[in-house]
Amino acid sequence: MPLRLLKYAWKKSEDEPRFFPDETPLKKAYDVVIIGGGGHGMACAYYLAKEHGITNVAVLEQGYIGGGNTGRNTTIVRSNYLTSEGVKFYDESLKLFEDLSDDFDLNIFYSTRGHFTLAHTDSAMRTMRWRAEVNKHHGIDSEVVDVETIQKEVPYMDMSCNGQHPVMGALYHAPGSVARHDAVAWGYARGAQQRGVEIHQKTRVTDIKTKGGKVVGVETDRGFVEAKKVISMVAGSTPRITEMLEIETPIEIFPLQACVTEPVKPFMDTIVVSGSLHVYVSQSSRGELVMGASVDPAELHSTRSTLDFVEGLTDQMMDLFPFTSRLKIMRQWAGMSDITPDFAPIMGKTDVEGFYLDAGWGTWGFKATPVSGKTMAYTVANDTPHELIKPFSLSRYADFKLVGEKGAASVGH
Amino acid sequence: MKFVTCPSLGRRALSEFTYGGRLEKEPDQESVSEKAWTDYVFYRNGAPQTLKEWWYHRPTGIWFLFERNTLTDRITQVEFANRGIENEA
Amino acid sequence: MKLRLAPQPLEWIDRKSSVSFTFEGQTVSGFKGDVISSALWAQGRKVVGRSFKYHRRRGLLSFANHDINALLQAEDRPNVRADVVQAEDGMSLTAVNTFGSLASDKGALVEWIGKFLPVGFYYRAFYSPKFLFPKWERLIREMAGLGKVNTDWSEERKPKRYLHCDVVVIGAGPSGMAAAIAAAKQGVDVCLIDENPYIGGSLDYQYVNEDSQQLNRKYLKETVESMPNIQVITSSYVAGYYGDHWLGINTPDGLIKLSAQAVVVASGVFEQPAVFRNNDLPGVMNASAAQRLMARYAVAPCKEAVILTANPEGYRAALDLHKNGLVVKAILDTGKTAGESVVQAKSAGIPVFENAVLVEATGRKQLQGVTFEVGRLQHHLSCDGLLMSVGWAPAGAPLYQAGAKFGYNYTLEQLLPVELPEGVFACGRINGVFEIEDRIKDGEQAGTAAAQTVLGKEALAPVDYTAKSAHSDPYPIWPHPKGKEFVDFDEDIQIKDLKGAIAQGFDNIELMKRFSTIGMGPSQGKHSNMNGIRILAKLTGKTIDQTGSTTARPMFHPTPVSHLAGMRFRPERLTPLHSFHQQRNACFMEAGSWLRPEYYPTAETREASIAEEVSAVRNSVGLIDVSTLGKLEVFGRDAGELMDRLYTMRMSNMNVGASRYALMVDETGVVIDDGVAVRYSEEHFYVTTTTSTSDSAYRLIQKKVIEWGLKVTVLNRTGQIGAMNLAGPNSRKILAQLTDLDLSNDAFPYLAMRRAQVCGVEATLIRVGFVGELGYEIHTDSQSALKIWASIMEVGSEYGIKPFGVEAQRLLRLEKGHIIVGQDTDGLTNPFEANMPWSVHLKKPYFLGKPSLMKLKTLQNRTLVGFELLSKAHKDMPLESNLLIENGAMIGRVTSIGRSATLNKVIGLAMVETAFSEENQVLKIKLTDGRFVDAKVIKTPFYDPQGLLQKPDESNEGEAA
Repeated sequence: MPLRLLKYAWKKSEDEPRFFPDETPLKKAYDVVIIGGGGHGMACAYYLAKEHGITNVAVLEQGYIGGGNTGRNTTIVRSNYLTSEGVKFYDESLKLFEDLSDDFDLNIFYSTRGHFTLAHTDSAMRTMRWRAEVNKHHGIDSEVVDVETIQKEVPYMDMSCNGQHPVMGALYHAPGSVARHDAVAWGYARGAQQRGVEIHQKTRVTDIKTKGGKVVGVETDRGFVEAKKVISMVAGSTPRITEMLEIETPIEIFPLQACVTEPVKPFMDTIVVSGSLHVYVSQSSRGELVMGASVDPAELHSTRSTLDFVEGLTDQMMDLFPFTSRLKIMRQWAGMSDITPDFAPIMGKTDVEGFYLDAGWGTWGFKATPVSGKTMAYTVANDTPHELIKPFSLSRYADFKLVGEKGAASVGH
Repeated sequence: MKFVTCPSLGRRALSEFTYGGRLEKEPDQESVSEKAWTDYVFYRNGAPQTLKEWWYHRPTGIWFLFERNTLTDRITQVEFANRGIENEA
Repeated sequence: MKLRLAPQPLEWIDRKSSVSFTFEGQTVSGFKGDVISSALWAQGRKVVGRSFKYHRRRGLLSFANHDINALLQAEDRPNVRADVVQAEDGMSLTAVNTFGSLASDKGALVEWIGKFLPVGFYYRAFYSPKFLFPKWERLIREMAGLGKVNTDWSEERKPKRYLHCDVVVIGAGPSGMAAAIAAAKQGVDVCLIDENPYIGGSLDYQYVNEDSQQLNRKYLKETVESMPNIQVITSSYVAGYYGDHWLGINTPDGLIKLSAQAVVVASGVFEQPAVFRNNDLPGVMNASAAQRLMARYAVAPCKEAVILTANPEGYRAALDLHKNGLVVKAILDTGKTAGESVVQAKSAGIPVFENAVLVEATGRKQLQGVTFEVGRLQHHLSCDGLLMSVGWAPAGAPLYQAGAKFGYNYTLEQLLPVELPEGVFACGRINGVFEIEDRIKDGEQAGTAAAQTVLGKEALAPVDYTAKSAHSDPYPIWPHPKGKEFVDFDEDIQIKDLKGAIAQGFDNIELMKRFSTIGMGPSQGKHSNMNGIRILAKLTGKTIDQTGSTTARPMFHPTPVSHLAGMRFRPERLTPLHSFHQQRNACFMEAGSWLRPEYYPTAETREASIAEEVSAVRNSVGLIDVSTLGKLEVFGRDAGELMDRLYTMRMSNMNVGASRYALMVDETGVVIDDGVAVRYSEEHFYVTTTTSTSDSAYRLIQKKVIEWGLKVTVLNRTGQIGAMNLAGPNSRKILAQLTDLDLSNDAFPYLAMRRAQVCGVEATLIRVGFVGELGYEIHTDSQSALKIWASIMEVGSEYGIKPFGVEAQRLLRLEKGHIIVGQDTDGLTNPFEANMPWSVHLKKPYFLGKPSLMKLKTLQNRTLVGFELLSKAHKDMPLESNLLIENGAMIGRVTSIGRSATLNKVIGLAMVETAFSEENQVLKIKLTDGRFVDAKVIKTPFYDPQGLLQKPDESNEGEAA
């Protein structure tokens, strides 16, 4: 029994301090308005307050904290990307993740499980090796492993894939982890709030006002608030915000679906991804198998579920784990993803002075939560892009300086 | 699943179709500026709206143009792409 | 049998056949037709499971699959729902999630330390020190989870079926049956779906003993069964509504995918438990559960009952017990219910306490009594059954998924649909209609309206049959200072847990759910969400509508993976020459959806076999199946124009009878495809694509034809044409024996194309040089391909001909420095980077991606180069994707590499920063083990740089015709 829990024996749980404040009126003006109360928005608010002393900040969230993609993703954290830009960025994120529980005084269930990305073709093997080599070059624990090694770690996996697409090897990333997604947002929110940041749920931004090419404030369904700087951190809804300023981006919205089985006792410790089979799976600490695939085929601003998705996913899943046919799918859901042409985010300043973008998160937003908060806070505080996000500028497309992640990410997990 | 009312085949499952992107007019290559070209290739308004889109019916190998709302997923018009393009022009 | 009743009028059991199974190691017998729960209960086994967190003993609650108290482990699957799975001979079952056994579960210790484990306790501990977290997590994981998986279980797949109907009716209770009949009478095809094995719904368990309903029952059931246009699907539930009236229906035999024109939701309501101290003691159950036990399985819920009720349904349940000779000690009415059943109950002598306030249920291992207050007076009654009838929540999953809006009705104290999407209708209790006669009328109007929609007729405005008095208690929740009032039985959530969550700021419905986990268990809130909403609304001072509810996502019930996956349908494409490859024991590899020979095992090792194949091509002759190439035919007035627009090179100036390399980029200038184009006539081209892009290239070209408004037809001939490449110095000699075509250099020069009879079959011959030898690509219709192939092999035997596979071809082309799109190029590579500036004709007025290439030409900072390794040691052999490092920085990577026996060295291609692409530049390749090996940039082709061998005896450059 951990000592921390002993106090609850004589303390009523209602005495616990609130994570989030009661509803308060909006102030007339803020130094910074963050649109979007998901993990990224909360993290940015947290680091603005903690590291830059900027506390006159409001986070405006149209729904509830973490109710967008933060609460809909499959919680995988990894840094084994293909490009140097990606690797450095996500490596920093991993390092931050590792200490978050202590920082927050809240267990985010950061659980390091090891992450296999299976290769079923020799071209996939080449991609895995490419990633491994780039990763190792940057000091990331990542290597190509052979079938025997995989079999030893995941003895119950059918390496022949039902004789259809035998596994040839895998990229193994020991630091690959899962975490409790909601707790990450809650921890950042509580930490930001304790430092003076205001969090306003059920507050929708309806317009962004500018004067002479400069941001002056935002219109909300609760009235106008002045703001010197506005950050859009609403992956999945980014174009709705950029449209307010007539900023065009390469972002198109595609639904990304996931599902879970009924809980069963733990048997799967590792995270397994197969790009060829469009499957990724891990077992949550509650015992559910958490599974996902690639994004839906067409642009759509909706979180509806489809039968096609769950049919396809379960079919492929059985190639790897035939015994899962005896399990049941309990729930399916969907999120909306900001998809960019080069499968890399769009971060930093824009042509509108005082307006910053944290967008284009595709299917990898959750794992970037800490680092995006930290680097965006730096960028906003200094009005200059953080070193780590320079490659992710909105203008890179016009310069044909795309980030080459596309080669690695047919399944983005 | 979505169903599509095809002008010649009637009600078909959307899963028979492959999405082919938005219908956008390519700028004249001879006269286009660099900016106008990259705007065309990369930058767009991705907000919910009603769009004309390319959809390919795999069993028949025919391209269609759908008028579809990207918020509601409602398809309000389906036409053969070759005819649709003529109408656009 | 302790609790089995005398035969019931509508019972589902077959008393002539008994079944026997084991539960927790002990034999249980029941009747055929019993579900596992009813068989257990009939024998007086009231403890059917342990709860999730505290491992409290649990009995039946909803007896309708709305809770997981009775969740069992079978030998061949986990998490069996005992409330709905039929008992079968030989089953061997145990409770899930016990440590020890159901009777003696060490997990129950958790209850003793429960006060240390407030809501969300796991967020507050275990993370420090960090190194201990994995141990704690393991413990938490072991404690969580329900059934156990045996990873040796074999794969199960059930076939799927498709079904089409005009109107689908979900739920075959009185309103659903009436809706189906009414729709069918309009002449449309109807599907009627119910999760129970028999139609009838609550008519058959809540109204069994009401003579007045016999006529309705007979009419509805017999009419449904007699109408040919009503298809009844029982034991099946709608797992999800997926837009445009597309339903996934789970049946015992697999998934049905149903497409309907209109949907009638008559799925009824879930009975909601009351929340009070010890409401989870075995013996406390929903009144409807008790009625189902009695009516369907002839099992008494108890011997001495107390009824807690807020509606006439509770009184009716009391009468059912009474009729079966069971003692009803009292009816505790939370208010003052009126109606006929109240009068009957009172006249039957059942004591009724109005305005009763529940205090607690008592008992140690199971229910022994109930304490309640009326006025200020506390009473205690001993009983072994406490039946709760305090309210209903909509079984609204299909409606929510279809996009319906619900609103709270304060007369009924129930959520009702207030806005329905097009083509979706609701009727019966989900609509707040409670009297049977009204439910039938409501069903009839919904069924009629649905049919009218299908028929394109105007529907009449619906009559409102909504009940005029409450059937739910507005707050059936009685907190107790000592707690243990369970709101969510799956997750062991008590009132204090919700209070705690709310107090900490998780005070909207979604946050409360996510923090407390209410509604997140396997029954997905069916018995807990409504009470959760009521508690949240009360504690935050909001209305139910302001509080809102969570989304009901699919699946309605957890649905087997084996059903969702269905049978495997994953076709593989085989080339027309596949039988030959099989005879030669070819080692196959996947190429797109095709299977291709990787190599033919003729020597001891893979490498040696491949080396033999390479050697045959270089020294004599080899034959490779290239049927998997995409093959497109282009005809029409604008054929030349189309080819010019599609490819980076000029194509319209090709001579008839010539061939040319064809490279395609996308609008951003990235290389996406390459192949060979030939010109059959002025207005007729034939072009190949890479294997994996054949479908997408064909789609793209068709689209561009339309976009560009060209008069041209494009045909995808990929599957209709077989192709092979006969290559090597002796290829001409072999081919000459099989065709009358003049194969001399003058008549058929390098890069020319000819059509001729080969082995008496019409074929297209192309003089190609991909592997760098004299060679002919032969394309012919699929049926004839094997004939030509076999003849070549036969004639070629004299020259030691060998079939060769993809691996040998890879090495051969590497020796020539030819790229493979997708291997030597990546998702961003343009033709300049691929070192093929010659392939881009920027002077053409228009081609796909040209403006991007004009820009990219000025931005080039990496280049594909050839290199040779400066070490020949086997241990120094790099792998494809090894990096090139200069001064600690990555400057590129190896894209292709191979050990060339022909050249006696290791050669490769690498994508490097342009600054390092000069000839003789030494590149440092970092091997996988971290060592470095040097390589030197050299010109390509590595082999036969002048290209003399692919056009022997010819001196003229370029293409001919």
